[in-house]
Amino acid sequence: MKSSSAASLETGGRFERWAERRLRYLMLAPAVLILLALTIFPSLYMFYAAVHRISPNPDLPWQFVGAANFARLLSDGQFQVALRNTAIFTTVAVSVEFLLGLGLALLLDKYIRRLTFLKTVLMVPMMLPPIAVAITWKLIYEPQFGVLNEIMYRLGLPTQAWAGDVDLAMFSIIVADVWQWTPFIFLLMLAGLASLPVEPYEAAELDGASSWRQFWDLTIPFLKPVIAIALLLRVMDALRLFDLVFILTGGGPADRTKVLSLYIYQVAYRFADPGYAAAISLFVLFVTVVLSTWFMKRMRLVE
Amino acid sequence: MAMIFKTRSRSRETLLRLAAYGTILVALVLTLFPVYWIAANSFKFDIDIFAVPPEWVPRNPTLKHYDQAFIERPFLRYALNSFLVAVGTTAIAVIFGTMAGYALARFTYPRQWRKHVSFWILSTRMMPPIVSIIPLYLFFNYFDMLNTKAALIIAYTAFNLPFATWMMKSYFQDLPVELEEAAIVDGDTRWGAFLHVALPLARPGLAATAIFCLIISWNEFLLALVITLTEQSQTLPIGIAGRVTQYTTYWGEISAAGFMACVPIVIFAFIVQKHLVRGLSLGAVKG
Repeated sequence: MKSSSAASLETGGRFERWAERRLRYLMLAPAVLILLALTIFPSLYMFYAAVHRISPNPDLPWQFVGAANFARLLSDGQFQVALRNTAIFTTVAVSVEFLLGLGLALLLDKYIRRLTFLKTVLMVPMMLPPIAVAITWKLIYEPQFGVLNEIMYRLGLPTQAWAGDVDLAMFSIIVADVWQWTPFIFLLMLAGLASLPVEPYEAAELDGASSWRQFWDLTIPFLKPVIAIALLLRVMDALRLFDLVFILTGGGPADRTKVLSLYIYQVAYRFADPGYAAAISLFVLFVTVVLSTWFMKRMRLVE
Repeated sequence: MAMIFKTRSRSRETLLRLAAYGTILVALVLTLFPVYWIAANSFKFDIDIFAVPPEWVPRNPTLKHYDQAFIERPFLRYALNSFLVAVGTTAIAVIFGTMAGYALARFTYPRQWRKHVSFWILSTRMMPPIVSIIPLYLFFNYFDMLNTKAALIIAYTAFNLPFATWMMKSYFQDLPVELEEAAIVDGDTRWGAFLHVALPLARPGLAATAIFCLIISWNEFLLALVITLTEQSQTLPIGIAGRVTQYTTYWGEISAAGFMACVPIVIFAFIVQKHLVRGLSLGAVKG
């Protein structure tokens, strides 16, 4: 009995020892293989699609057109509008979310540290489906019966068409996005503040440093990695904004809120031109990777 | 003199405190008002949703829209689909992401592999969904997988797995390696040390990672819009969007479904909130 169990341990042991030696690769393998399959294949396929003219009729063969789809980008006015709108949205929305999120986290951390449930309450917008958020804001912005215009009216301010107004549409999108995603920055900052060391602040206090100086010389440098990650994730998500514009404005009025994701969607499905959509997609991917790599290197996010 | 100075600074402190409370109160009102508005509208008759001036509190509260959404229309089916897809994706992403994260945090590899693989995994998260939609659509079409929950799980895994790996990697890096070494000295295998020692210690990180994967998959809209067309496979966000038709928008029904959609996640968040903040402070922060 004893010897047979020892023997089975021996045979099992050979595999186990092999697995143990290879553990570093075995543990990494599933994730790497899944991601390889799910990203390398689409990237190659997309590159292949981008150099072809693809007919909406699936029975017709793809026609090789070389760099023509990319050349089209240069003279495509709609693309340039989308690029500009995406740049405006990303810059303004992420800046506002960052300032509000950081400010709120500082306030909460300093004045009401104990009330943890308040943190979760402030996080609720992030948990709602973005599509429901978009529809709710549409209702709030509604020019005739919307609650925002009612409030404006009661305050004696001029009522507006909000999402339907050429000059206010992008502003309206940004407000809704800020409402939903400031909590994300807020949460990351709060977590960062909670892990700050105490000693440097005591030393600074003894030196008579003002709270303003402490903020700039201690808090900001300590928070730098969190700030970097929060900004990186938010910028990556802002560049792919879709749900809000899809529901709230559909890209209008007068293309004022047409962003890159929406334009790619329109090109691929409404104009049935997947080859060109793939070319635009590759451009967006290229810009995102270049920006993020530069940013991560600068912030030393990878060792 | 000193006394006066002290009282003055104390009253200034009180003033600052009041201003801080005021600001937080404003933030709370602004945060909660749209949520309240969804809830309030979900209990109003259609005609009252469009009342001028708006009804701040439903005058004739009704459950009509809940009945419509969950009895007459298949929102429960959509919710079930969302649930299955979100749980499936989260399980895959968290299991494999945790293993990969542990490997990248603990093992050494030849020729700077660790650095390159970490960076590559991170970079796969950069691909915006709209970019991978066309190849994924063609891919699922080729394998006859359009309109399946499996297709959604596969697609969502592509953007949750890098996130999970990244979070868990930084999490394990923060755990002291000595505990695992002690377990190995006591006769445990390397794998056993991971399973019995490191994993239980990383539970808060697992909770934080899991809830983010859940939120992302439960709410995802764009990929689901393209990959699924049948009621049997569509998720909650698609069901909600489907009630915005060319002719009418069913505001009440959408409000009822939208409000109910966030309830499970908010409850879950309250349950794990302690882990959530701690998990993030140890995980994402130290990249």
